[in-house]
Amino acid sequence: MATAQNPSTPTMRPGVQPLRAGQGTTFLWRKLHSLLGIVPIGAFLLEHLLSNFEALKGPAAYGAQVKFLNSLPLVRVLEWVFIFLPILYHGLYGVYIWLRGKSNIVYYPWAGNWMYTAQRYTGLIAILYIGQHVLRQRFMGISLPENPGAAFAKVQHELANPWMLAVYIIAMIAICWHFAYGIWLFAAKWGITPGTTARKRFGYICAAFGLALAIMGLASIWAFVGPTYRNAPDIAPLSYLAAPVHAGSHTV
Amino acid sequence: MANKTVQLEIKRQATPDAPAVWEKFDLEWRPGMNVTSALMEIAANPVTADGHSTTPVTYDSNCLEEICGSCAMRINGKARMACSALVENIEQPIRIEPLSKFPLVRDLQVDRSVLFENLKAVKAWVPIDGTYDLGAGPRLFPQDQEVNYPLSNCISCTCCMEVCPQFNEETGFVGAATIAQVRLFNNHPTGKVLKEERLRALAGDGGVQECGYAQNCVEVCPKQLPLTNAISDVSREVLLQKAKDFLRG
Repeated sequence: MATAQNPSTPTMRPGVQPLRAGQGTTFLWRKLHSLLGIVPIGAFLLEHLLSNFEALKGPAAYGAQVKFLNSLPLVRVLEWVFIFLPILYHGLYGVYIWLRGKSNIVYYPWAGNWMYTAQRYTGLIAILYIGQHVLRQRFMGISLPENPGAAFAKVQHELANPWMLAVYIIAMIAICWHFAYGIWLFAAKWGITPGTTARKRFGYICAAFGLALAIMGLASIWAFVGPTYRNAPDIAPLSYLAAPVHAGSHTV
Repeated sequence: MANKTVQLEIKRQATPDAPAVWEKFDLEWRPGMNVTSALMEIAANPVTADGHSTTPVTYDSNCLEEICGSCAMRINGKARMACSALVENIEQPIRIEPLSKFPLVRDLQVDRSVLFENLKAVKAWVPIDGTYDLGAGPRLFPQDQEVNYPLSNCISCTCCMEVCPQFNEETGFVGAATIAQVRLFNNHPTGKVLKEERLRALAGDGGVQECGYAQNCVEVCPKQLPLTNAISDVSREVLLQKAKDFLRG
């Protein structure tokens, strides 16, 4: 990219190169990175946290939710096109963005600069966490698409390890932060909130939204480690084919 | 307050390739003293704190009233204008370094011509050259004047670029100043004839997309330009321009 030739600058100058007016493709890749963070990744995160919330209703309800999601048409295609590939691109390009930035919070410890840095660290936590999470929960151990009833016990066994529980709690907070600030950044950088007051107000909305998501996520974690559903059955009996179970219609 | 001493530590470098050395200077405090006037006093009597004779410090400055944009440098680590840096408001010893993101010329003088190249790359001007008198231009409405005036205050000091984590040799980011000038000239009734060209230019590598919205630019700007607002507005317009270009083929 830095080697792109601009007719107005035939020789390489020392220092930062001038704008390569109208040349190159970083605009497209950067905007794609930005958009994917909202849809589908952000939308999927919402779905995932809402689905996790079913765990508060017990192993059967949670298993039914897993079963429902796996009964979606073309679910394996949806999984790769709308979840795995976008997250992989967003994560890898995000690291690339990070490596090209030069943080300077030591000299300029301002709020926006802290957020800029936090967005990079939370992103790194997210991609490391998601890597192991997908590997261990989706591709290792008992296969949940075939055995949705085993979902609750599988997660419960994972979280029985206090180190893994800490990893899940840290990742939950980091990812909710990353998403909430990501929405704010998206609005600012796509020109949706071009005014200082609008950005400030939207900042409060994003903060409240992120906090709500994090609380929901932590509550779901509590459902697996708390006293209510201790020693859940390895395979919870599911009496429903597709629709998620609602509270009160089912007892464990 | 008489006979109070002002301590300065200045990063010196005789040539771009020479090793950097720090020199200390003790000056007699004067009321209203600022960093530029301190540098002038050193030029008048270039002797370090330990009594060694040295060369006068090379630095850019001109207007001495924060309007020309020449004397930007790092004072106690932060980029700012030396002329408006009042000595009595700064912690001592005052550590003075050149801007870090631009090729060094000598001592505190750096080559900031990349900003001029960037302004040329986005055609940051109102095109009125012709072979005949074009007559009076269109009227500028007060609403547009309100938008344009703050943007026209840019003094090209490059502080916004210096403090930007994205402005570096890896990204070749254009920086907030140039983006704000695109906003200004695109809002001018005659200047907007080049609007599409400016927006397409800013979608190039190093363009507006490289902004990470750390917002240091707007914090540091000595002229309080609404830089983040301009980046937000211009980002949207660049995106819409690219979408139009794509759909129109």
